[in-house]
Amino acid sequence: MNRETFVEKLRTGLRGLPQTTVDEVMADYEAHFSEGLQAGRTEDEIASALGDPARLARELRTEAGIRRWELERNPSAAAGAIFAILGLGVIDIVILLPILLPVAATLLGFMVASVGIFTGGAIIFVAGPFAGIGHYIAAVMFGGLSLMAGGVSLGALTGLVSIGFVNGLVWFGRLHMRLLKPVLESSEVRP
Amino acid sequence: MTEAIQIQLKRGVLELCVLAVLSRNDAYAYDIAAQLAKAIDMGEGTIYPLMRRMQTDRLVETYLVESSSGPPRKYYKLTTSGRASLAAQTIEWTAFSEAVNVILGAPQ
Repeated sequence: MNRETFVEKLRTGLRGLPQTTVDEVMADYEAHFSEGLQAGRTEDEIASALGDPARLARELRTEAGIRRWELERNPSAAAGAIFAILGLGVIDIVILLPILLPVAATLLGFMVASVGIFTGGAIIFVAGPFAGIGHYIAAVMFGGLSLMAGGVSLGALTGLVSIGFVNGLVWFGRLHMRLLKPVLESSEVRP
Repeated sequence: MTEAIQIQLKRGVLELCVLAVLSRNDAYAYDIAAQLAKAIDMGEGTIYPLMRRMQTDRLVETYLVESSSGPPRKYYKLTTSGRASLAAQTIEWTAFSEAVNVILGAPQ
């Protein structure tokens, strides 16, 4: 494999990552080729010493996904990290799915519930005084406010638990990448 | 099977080796890869994902140095927590390898 093929395969494997990350990674490997050529090696030698570009791209993707999650902590970064780990094939999906799905569904349920409670509270707060529910307008409005506050705390709590959940997945994925993957890899057929 | 153990062992200690190399001198990735590839026979390409991870974990920092031939080189240097990690991992490795050696050398 020459330099051009290696670089192309790597670039293909990195598709979808932020442009700055791709540029940084490509610059690392381009520099590696330049150094190697200066040291008197051929492009073929350098490429084969570097290893399989598709495999390297998968590892780099996982690293980039985890890094983004650690920096941003938002749902899209969480999805990115999870999909990168799944893409690496390090999480045994058959074993994990029955555990993951109920947890994810429960978290989603709590999120929906907190939005519902908040909305309900807001409606009572706004509409209560006009609907003529008894003469305790202040009490009704206060009740609506409490519901809204409850919705917000439930949402915040669910958010915290979700972050912990994704962190756990990331930890698990890294553990597998370090411990399990080399064994799986060595059983693959090598040229 | 033997090969699986070898790859696993090398992977496990690769970070420790990089920390050790950088504790002696700051170095650029090609240099680190060349040193380690010769010594422990690993794929040179794996150094780059590892360096990125170590950067994320703030064990190493980078800086650019102008090169007489070609573009500037990205040098890696240990951070304070990189040094701490090297010390801790060295102790762990020494204890572990001594324990394994004792078991391997134990009379049958």
